[in-house]
Amino acid sequence: MESEGKIKDNPDPDKDNSQSNKNLVSSDPETISNQGETVQEKPVPEPSDDNSELVNLLLHFWQKIYTNVILRLIIRKILLTILIITLLIFIFSWFIYIIPYLQETGKGNKHQTINKTELKNDPAYKKQMSQLAKDEQKLFRKFVAYTPGQSYLVINTTDNRFSLYRNKKLMREGFCSTGSYTRLTNAEGSRHWIFKTPKGRFWIQEKITSPLWVRPDWSFVEEGLPIPPKNDESRYEYGVLGDYAMSLGDGYLIHGTIYKRFLGMPVTHGCVRLNDDDLEAIYNTLNIGSKVYIF
Amino acid sequence: MKNKSTFIKTVFYSLGFLILIFMIYYAVMSLLSPSSQIANINRDYGYKISESSKSDERIISDSAFISMNREKSFYQARVLMAESDSICLALNLSDSSAILEINGVAVHKAKISEIAISKVFQKADEYSVTALVATPFTVENDYSTLRKEPVMIKMAPKDTSEYKPDILPDTTNSESVNYIFEMTNGIRLYVYQTTGENKGDKLALFMFDLNDRLSNFVHNLKRLMDFKVPEYHPSIKIRMAKADAKIIYRALPKHGMISVFW
Repeated sequence: MESEGKIKDNPDPDKDNSQSNKNLVSSDPETISNQGETVQEKPVPEPSDDNSELVNLLLHFWQKIYTNVILRLIIRKILLTILIITLLIFIFSWFIYIIPYLQETGKGNKHQTINKTELKNDPAYKKQMSQLAKDEQKLFRKFVAYTPGQSYLVINTTDNRFSLYRNKKLMREGFCSTGSYTRLTNAEGSRHWIFKTPKGRFWIQEKITSPLWVRPDWSFVEEGLPIPPKNDESRYEYGVLGDYAMSLGDGYLIHGTIYKRFLGMPVTHGCVRLNDDDLEAIYNTLNIGSKVYIF
Repeated sequence: MKNKSTFIKTVFYSLGFLILIFMIYYAVMSLLSPSSQIANINRDYGYKISESSKSDERIISDSAFISMNREKSFYQARVLMAESDSICLALNLSDSSAILEINGVAVHKAKISEIAISKVFQKADEYSVTALVATPFTVENDYSTLRKEPVMIKMAPKDTSEYKPDILPDTTNSESVNYIFEMTNGIRLYVYQTTGENKGDKLALFMFDLNDRLSNFVHNLKRLMDFKVPEYHPSIKIRMAKADAKIIYRALPKHGMISVFW
């Protein structure tokens, strides 16, 4: 038996909500039943003329919520959901962010450095420091010696730019074109080629004026043409490589181009293309044996 | 009805308690790993007194010695890289620069805008850390938001009627550039592009970072299942311009070498 003033739980809340709401509003708000549970309620402060308008408005709003079971239920569920979501976010953050952060903040035994004059006057210390200075100088000289004093060329395949150095000073820089990173497969699928410019250290192996292009097999495959026999006349093309070419070995050349609008873009089959002025300057600066660094 | 509700509550509280216990266990085990890493560095690279060279042990704590020894180690590492004849990266964190080198020749220099180094490097003995960086690190794995080699597949035409001349390559710089180099000694180098105000880049970085953290967490969970201390990877995190970060990533070979100086 429910005591007087308590409202018996409605087994089907959707069915008779209006009735229960009426009861709630009209009944003594000290005790309100909610889904089979009896809850002891505190009295709700009522709006009065002594309070300001805003306070009264808030109190009125609060009273409305307080006395409406459905609204209270909804708010309760929303709060519970927010709490669960917050908890889940906290657990997730704990493993993903908080622990890694804590790993970097803990205290450790920081090794203290000293600067004692007594130690500095010690002959053993002086000897060791002098040895260390000598070793460092030796390594420094060895390292610096790696940079050639003569002319060398640096090619940046990502940005398609070149830099020409002479006596360790930048002489000229500009755009070039390098490998397109295209993987070409012939129609039968039996052969493939990757058009990329090799990276690393190379040197000029040959300098050629008015170079002749001997078209390789891929050049025909790429255009859907039948591959002619070696030394066939159709393989020889004059003028497409510009006025000069420098060989880096393995068929890779630094040469000119008739496709100047593509300079600065990765469009070649592995060779390095330059415009006419740059090509001439580089040709005249680099000698056979000059280093070319490609990255 | 009441029993069901009590049962749900019991399950809920038990689950909560178990999660709490696991969170504490994970935290304790994870916080132990940096200390063990410091101990390992000190043990493997620490100063060893040999009878042949009766040098004063105090010297390894001397600031002048440490400074000079550090510089020597950097040159030593760079000479070793130069001898390898490969494309290598030298990180000079003291002047915030990253230098690509081929056979000792600096071919590209990039400015680093932000640096964050694991506390492990500051907590371990200076001498040990210097000895650790005296040999270049070798990249074992890398994880990135861009491809190392942007290879495009092209099928050759069957005849000239199918042939279409190449269209201009897409040179728009839209892909974000964030990557991690995992070294053979467990140290990780994080290279992030500077994002500026670009929301797309910020989101890409957030997702990349989240993915890395999640994979670390999953890996650590597996270790915990085997009752092992979670792995801790000392890290160096740097930020630089997108173009520079891209050049370095594309230039460095799969198992490239990196030397560090700070």
